[in-house]
Amino acid sequence: MATYDSLFSALGLKDWCAEGKEDGPMSMADLLAKAKGKNAEPESLWDFPFPSMDALNDSCTAFPQSRELTQGLEQGFLAIKDNLSLVLDPLTQPLSWALDSALYGMLNTPWWIVIPIMLAVVFLVTKSWKLVLFVGASICLLAFIDYYEYAMQTLAIIFVCAFLCVLLGVPIGIAMSRSNTIQRLTIPVLDMLQTLPPFVYLIPLIFLFSVTESKLYGIAIILYAIVPVVRLTNLGIRLVDKDVIEAADAFGMTPRQKLFKVQIPLALPNIMAGVNQTIMMSLAMVVIASLVSAPGLGVLVLRGIRNLELGVGLVAGLGIVILAVVLDRVTKASLARINATHKQ
Amino acid sequence: MANDIKISIKNLYKIFGPTPDVALEYVKRGMNKADLLDQHNHVLGLRDINVDVCDGKITVIMGLSGSGKSTLIRHLNRLIEPTAGEIRLNGNDVLDLNEEQLRQLRREQMSMVFQKFALLPHKTVLENAGMALNIRGHTVADFENEAVKWLARVGLEGNENQYPHQLSGGMQQRVGIARALVSNSPIMLMDEAFSALDPLIRSDMQDLLLELQGELQKTIIFITHDLDEALKLSDHLVILKDGEVVQQGDPQDILLNPNDPYIIAFINDINRARVLRVRSVMKPHSANDTDYAGDISEKDNLETVLSLSGGDTDKTYRVVRDGETVGSLSMKDLTRALVPSEA
Repeated sequence: MATYDSLFSALGLKDWCAEGKEDGPMSMADLLAKAKGKNAEPESLWDFPFPSMDALNDSCTAFPQSRELTQGLEQGFLAIKDNLSLVLDPLTQPLSWALDSALYGMLNTPWWIVIPIMLAVVFLVTKSWKLVLFVGASICLLAFIDYYEYAMQTLAIIFVCAFLCVLLGVPIGIAMSRSNTIQRLTIPVLDMLQTLPPFVYLIPLIFLFSVTESKLYGIAIILYAIVPVVRLTNLGIRLVDKDVIEAADAFGMTPRQKLFKVQIPLALPNIMAGVNQTIMMSLAMVVIASLVSAPGLGVLVLRGIRNLELGVGLVAGLGIVILAVVLDRVTKASLARINATHKQ
Repeated sequence: MANDIKISIKNLYKIFGPTPDVALEYVKRGMNKADLLDQHNHVLGLRDINVDVCDGKITVIMGLSGSGKSTLIRHLNRLIEPTAGEIRLNGNDVLDLNEEQLRQLRREQMSMVFQKFALLPHKTVLENAGMALNIRGHTVADFENEAVKWLARVGLEGNENQYPHQLSGGMQQRVGIARALVSNSPIMLMDEAFSALDPLIRSDMQDLLLELQGELQKTIIFITHDLDEALKLSDHLVILKDGEVVQQGDPQDILLNPNDPYIIAFINDINRARVLRVRSVMKPHSANDTDYAGDISEKDNLETVLSLSGGDTDKTYRVVRDGETVGSLSMKDLTRALVPSEA
């Protein structure tokens, strides 16, 4: 006899309960109680159980146990999984190609071509010799300790994912800024993506895609890193000076002209701040994504943890810090250049 | 020709709130602004505005903040939609235009100058000046000559490749005016265009505007809260209070015959000798007038006549227009006109 027997009999559900299977799976707590030969009946009001699913199941076996909830979710997901991956697989295939070819390109071009190209890009976006020198020294340091290959893998993944984040995130941000309804609908999703522990959305992704495919970690990184660029694009466009917008209207701009000639250029400092954050978050995620076979410095960190190779883990961690500083300084410097021409 | 009506505003109402149509009925039955806000939570923006704007003249709409003047000017190019009424441009109701026609009107008929300049901060002065043409699809090369010409005309020669933030407020507003001129529209809307500038620059800009107007004869609707500015610029003055027109007409006439305590309070503070002109206070010409102390133009202000007379109140001057005698002005009349009237 259990605590809530009287409840079910009072509701006249005794017959329905009796139909339930008696041999439902036992919880660990039940097993322990049985082993100790304890009665499930509470001895005093002090032990009175909350009417949870398991407690109700004790009284009425037809009532579902809480484990059936998680199990149901799992089974539901497995049931739609095949159809879902039928749609998602071809849709996300380009991501695999992009990641694979970026990795192939970065690793199979000799270092004396890759490093000068990167330095040229740094100079192009920052126009600062000091930064070029700093970036060159950082990469040479990583190459000197034989981490060049890992660092390039990490960079290749970040470039592809951050680029796709911007490609998808900016239009979403623009759509949010133009309609309050879209903003209301999108913000909870963004909040969820930002707060959900990154390990959690690795789980369904593993079910959906093969672990050998690079799009698995690509999607994880994009989902995690896209949030700031969406948010800041939306914010940036909403913050554009109302007077300038009014002037644009008064001179007869079409909505499209307004977007491309006024709103996006004036929101650019904010959008670039979002891109900076997105790049930093992709770097954070690329380390975690090494759990699902993302190559790069994260693999070394993982090796450090798994094999307790302290030195490898620490040096790889420092390498990530160096990459983070490089990426942050370069994007911040280009942001500062944009800000300078956008002064009000 | 000169007095052709370009824009005619008829029975214009604007009420802000969730159900302006309902509130409009109350307003038409005579409910005032405070009651409407109290009882129905709607804000009365404009009530029964009737204004005719003459072609080629400067019409100044004056009022304190909250009087609805900025709301009114934004109705002309429909940046704000009215609750009821008509706005006729060259006889056609602006409210009948569809989106495309309205855009056409804003591009070709009306240009606007803003209180806070509202220049594009990421574009050069040249590109800002050519904004209207750029919107119509012209490239910098197309409008460069035109933009450089007008920038030079407003005194910004050599600043073409600077950015707005590198210019002072007065210079930025010159870019704003050049932008409106480059668009080559017959109508210019100026929303407190000089209010953000310091007094000396403001006076310069007013002179510049009058000079340009002498050349171009555009139809200008100018918004201001400054009576001195209004009197200096206006051919036709409209005084707005709480969304209603209190008095409108020739500014000299309003100054001499104010019909509302609100206006009297306004005009008490101004320098009447500088604002009033001879034509407003002179007597019509009669044949038997004899000894004139000298000739004065009808356009002279009273300050000029005062300094000419050296303070002698016995003198009488002959008033001439283009060499013809049109009237006479005795110093006694002049002195009388300097005392503000009691309405």
